[in-house]
Amino acid sequence: MKKLFVIALLAIFTNTAFAATSIHAEVKGMVCAFCAKGINKKLRELDSTQDVWVDLKSRIVVVELKDQKTMSLEAFTKLIKDAGYDVANVEYINKTLLEIKADHTHISNEVKK
Amino acid sequence: MLARLSLALLLLVTLPAQAAALMGFKDSAMLMSEFSTDKKELMLNYSPALGHAIGVETMWMRGEKQTNLITNVNYTGLIKRWNMPSGQANLWFMTGIGEASGDSSGFSYSPSVQFDYETTRLYFLAKARMVRAPHIQYDTYSLQGGFSFYEASFEETQPWFVVEARTTENMATRNEITPALRLINQNYFLEFGITNPWDSESRTPRVNLMLTF
Repeated sequence: MKKLFVIALLAIFTNTAFAATSIHAEVKGMVCAFCAKGINKKLRELDSTQDVWVDLKSRIVVVELKDQKTMSLEAFTKLIKDAGYDVANVEYINKTLLEIKADHTHISNEVKK
Repeated sequence: MLARLSLALLLLVTLPAQAAALMGFKDSAMLMSEFSTDKKELMLNYSPALGHAIGVETMWMRGEKQTNLITNVNYTGLIKRWNMPSGQANLWFMTGIGEASGDSSGFSYSPSVQFDYETTRLYFLAKARMVRAPHIQYDTYSLQGGFSFYEASFEETQPWFVVEARTTENMATRNEITPALRLINQNYFLEFGITNPWDSESRTPRVNLMLTF
C-alpha cells in the first residue's frame, strides 16, 4: 500500500514537471515585430503549442507545450528557419512561459542596476 | 461608391515599395503601394515558399513629357539573407514583365535589386530599379536611412524616423527627399511622410500602411 502511495505521488510530481516543459531558443536576425509575425503565427498554429513568447530585445522565442504534447527541437528549429531566421541555441526548459518571462525580467532589472 | 471606398481603403492599407520586407512568411500575401502626385503604384504578392513571391503590380507614372500606366506580373526573390545576433541584412532581386499604355505603349519590364540592413535601432536600404517600355524609361535609384526612438517589445509599437532620397529619370519631379515617421507593430507597418517639404511646388504628403495576411 505504501509502495502504491509513493508511486502515485511520484507520478503526480513527474507529470507536473513534464507539463511545464517549454522550448527556449535564441534566434538570429529577429529584429522587427512585423517581420517576426510569421514565427508567432506558425508556432501558435501547432497542436502542441500552449503559448508563445517572442522577445525582440533579447532575440528569444519561447514555446510552452500543452500537457502530454511534445515537439522535437528539430521540428522547432525547422519552423524558425522556414520563417527566415537562424537558431543560435535551443533547449528544453522545465518551466512555464510565465516563469521564463519572470526570469528574464529579473535578469534585465539586474543588468539595469 | 462602395467599390471606390473599398479601393481607397485598399490603397491606404499598403506599404511603400521600398520597405525592407518585400514579402511575408511562407503562405502569406502582402499588399504594397506608393502614392504621390506623379506616381501611383500598387503591388500584391503571394509567397509560396521562403524567399520567393509572385504577384501583380500596376504603376501610374507622370513623366516630363508623357503619362503611362504599366501593368506587370512580377517575381521577387531573396538572393541572400544574413541573420546576425543583433541584425539582419537582405539582398533581393525583383522583376516584372507586362504591358505599358498611355502616351506610349508596348511590352514593359522592370528588373531591380535591393539591399537592406536592419537592427532593432537602425535601418538602411539601397535600391536600383529599371522601368522600361518602348519610348519609356523611369529608372529609379533610392536610399533610405533611419533610426528607432527606442527598442520595443514584440507586443509594442515601435516608432522610427526614416529619410528617403530618390531620383527617377524622366519624371515630372525627378528628385525627392522624404522624411517620414514610421510605426512598426506585429500587425501593421504605418508611415507618414512629406516629400520635398521645403519646396511648395513638389511638396506631397505620403501615408503608407502595410499588412500581411
